[in-house]
Amino acid sequence: MPNAFDAANPPFDRLTPGEIEMLRAAIDVGYFKPGATIVRAGGDGQSLFIIIKGAVEEREGDELVGLLGPKDFFDTRAIVQGAAAHSFVAREETLCYLAPKDVIQRLIRDNARFGAFFYLDISRKLEAIARTEDEMRSGSLMRTRIGDLFLHPAEFIDATATIEQAGRRMREINSNTLLLRDAGQGVGIVTGMNLSKAVVLHKMPITAPIAPLAHFDLSTVAENDFVFEALLEMTKSNKRRLAVKRGDEFVGILEDIDLLGFLAGNTQVIAGRIDRAKSLADLRIAAREIADQVRTLRRQDVRFETIAEIVSDLNRRLFAKTFALIAPPDLRKRGCLIVMGSEGRGEQTIRTDQDNGIILAEPVDAAMLDGFRAEFTAALEEFGYPPCPGNVMVRNPFWSKTLDEYLGNFNEWVAAPDQNAMMNVAIFYDAVAVSGRTDLLKRAKTALIESVRAERVYLARFALAVESFETPISLFNTLVATDGALDLKKGGIFPIVHGVRALALEHGLEETSTEARLEKLGELNVLRADFTRDLLQSFQYLSTLRLDSQLEELSGSRSLVRPAELSSVERDLLRDSFKVVKQFRDFLRRHFNLGMFG
Amino acid sequence: MIPPRLKRFYHRRRLNDPEFAFLFEPGPEDELVCFDCETTGLNPSRDDIISIGAVKIRGDRILASERFQRIVRPKAAMSADAIKVHRLRAADVAYGEGVETVIPDFLRFVGGRPLVGYYLQFDVAMVNKYLKPMKHIKLPNPMIEVSEQYYERKYGDAPAGSHIDLSFAAILKDLGIPPLDAHDAFNDAMMTAMMYLALRDLKARGVRIARQTHVSPGYGG
Repeated sequence: MPNAFDAANPPFDRLTPGEIEMLRAAIDVGYFKPGATIVRAGGDGQSLFIIIKGAVEEREGDELVGLLGPKDFFDTRAIVQGAAAHSFVAREETLCYLAPKDVIQRLIRDNARFGAFFYLDISRKLEAIARTEDEMRSGSLMRTRIGDLFLHPAEFIDATATIEQAGRRMREINSNTLLLRDAGQGVGIVTGMNLSKAVVLHKMPITAPIAPLAHFDLSTVAENDFVFEALLEMTKSNKRRLAVKRGDEFVGILEDIDLLGFLAGNTQVIAGRIDRAKSLADLRIAAREIADQVRTLRRQDVRFETIAEIVSDLNRRLFAKTFALIAPPDLRKRGCLIVMGSEGRGEQTIRTDQDNGIILAEPVDAAMLDGFRAEFTAALEEFGYPPCPGNVMVRNPFWSKTLDEYLGNFNEWVAAPDQNAMMNVAIFYDAVAVSGRTDLLKRAKTALIESVRAERVYLARFALAVESFETPISLFNTLVATDGALDLKKGGIFPIVHGVRALALEHGLEETSTEARLEKLGELNVLRADFTRDLLQSFQYLSTLRLDSQLEELSGSRSLVRPAELSSVERDLLRDSFKVVKQFRDFLRRHFNLGMFG
Repeated sequence: MIPPRLKRFYHRRRLNDPEFAFLFEPGPEDELVCFDCETTGLNPSRDDIISIGAVKIRGDRILASERFQRIVRPKAAMSADAIKVHRLRAADVAYGEGVETVIPDFLRFVGGRPLVGYYLQFDVAMVNKYLKPMKHIKLPNPMIEVSEQYYERKYGDAPAGSHIDLSFAAILKDLGIPPLDAHDAFNDAMMTAMMYLALRDLKARGVRIARQTHVSPGYGG
């Protein structure tokens, strides 16, 4: 306020100095004694309240939905929608800054970044962020430096070398471009196409020197230049290759195809490559490219859900093709290849491990089956899909057997629900058919659902896993970091995925992705529509953060995030997301009566 | 000691400018003014006001948006010590206004409202120093001393010989009020207003401030 109003506190850090002055001049201070209602539900808040000291309860009817402390503010809904959804009551002696509604509304209108915070709820906030990301997509792309792109080597060859020598050198370095120095004309470039044209069209002997074929009007860019400068240079000079320099030194050649691949990604190329693959070796290249796509797409600010969809689609094509190449005809006719767990939900981005299996319509030749089991799992491992530590793989006879054998298991899993059995139900319920007799999976799942959906106690025990880990948010809605880091998976993603899975199982849903299950649960009124949306947005936001954290880690499996390294906008969204997770856990606790397990 | 009402009567008779008769009328109900001066030193007869900060309190609300915040061009030279304390240099106050315009404006801001302050007597004496020769009166407004309220809530029932700390910082700490930038007349007035509202509520609810320094009920932070 006055002078000491903390303008560094989000979202006020988004204001310009002039806007902060305007706000400061308009702010009052209110004192509220314990029990005083500051904002009444349904009331049209005339002010935005920013807590200076004290504690304020956010209540929905009699239910306490949140406890706010210093620097928290409320009620954004009253400001934006004109009516408060909840009431706000001072728990103890409380002092608040009172920012007049009309001033806040003017700031929301004038300052989009500030305004983003005042959208009705977290979903709107997240959409606002997504929009800025869209606007900034080209921006962030263009901020990348040329040195970060794939470059061919800046390989020099003697100007007196022959066409043949140049051709051989190109093959050795797996590049189509060589550089050469000419005393008079400086540095020149010669390409594979120059060599071919000379020989084929001009009928030059392969012993002819290359110097006359070279071009000396070389276009160069600096390694530190931004990518957009390379794009400009190519357009301006109409060149398909640029020489990249560090100071006076040549450090690489940038080809237009690599620049365009960086800009656009090349997922459609990979899909085509998988379809045309004639051997496992062909597939191996495609598998590596799938993994590379994740980083490329994310660098373009493509969000988690889109990347997961693309990667899952490519992975399934790859698995199906592998199955087609390896499985004997008898197996392809009688079996169904399934993927389970996150792969089945379509939420796999960075590779974790294989979760796959086979369902057979009837027994097949044992030796043939054994051979296939080993070969298939080994092929995927060779492609870079790590084996599953829990051995949920085709290789394991437990996950490659007949439908009847699966059906027999289901009864055991439900009758004696230990941790293992519970996990088996969870991952099998997430399964999708990738190739072969898809009807087998459908029959298996129908049976699984039928055997558990009426079992209240079983379902509660199943849902109980959401209580395994604390959600890292305090009563005061502040983030609780351990050693400066938060676990996004344990604290947020897992409770959402598993809670949604438990509800979906209870309602016999056939959908497998968390998003599709949530939508269905919303339609069935199991979850309120706005809460469904909040959950989905939180899930996607946490997953996107996790993906970024995994991409930073070379090992690729971490799901920790350090709040101190996030921007204040990201921290705010993270806090909101965990708040939603906490509410969801409260809902599950009531819904499944988890209290009975003490 | 002269009874306050008699004093009011006396001053009202002496007022030489009917325009300021409002000072002697009761102000709007439920309103007070909290104020603070920064001065060139601590001796009212020798030193000068260099800034006045004041804020109205209406009910439980501090009307910071209707603040009174003015810098005065002092007549006397500022002591080096005072400059260190309030950080207003001669160059800063050179842009101030003459005290003969600031004081009447301040009176119009205050009206008949009671005044609230921390060691208010000093600030009132500073204002009276200019007011007396101008209008032949002293500030007639009722006065509320925050340190007295605090004393009553914290030490009112203390055994004789208790260690007593009525410092501004001690009050802020006991009441859990975050310190604003101190030694700015307006910020001091704001903090004093927050103290006043908290103390008034404690009194209304019969809650005392615990004397074992940092554990004070309900003021966890």
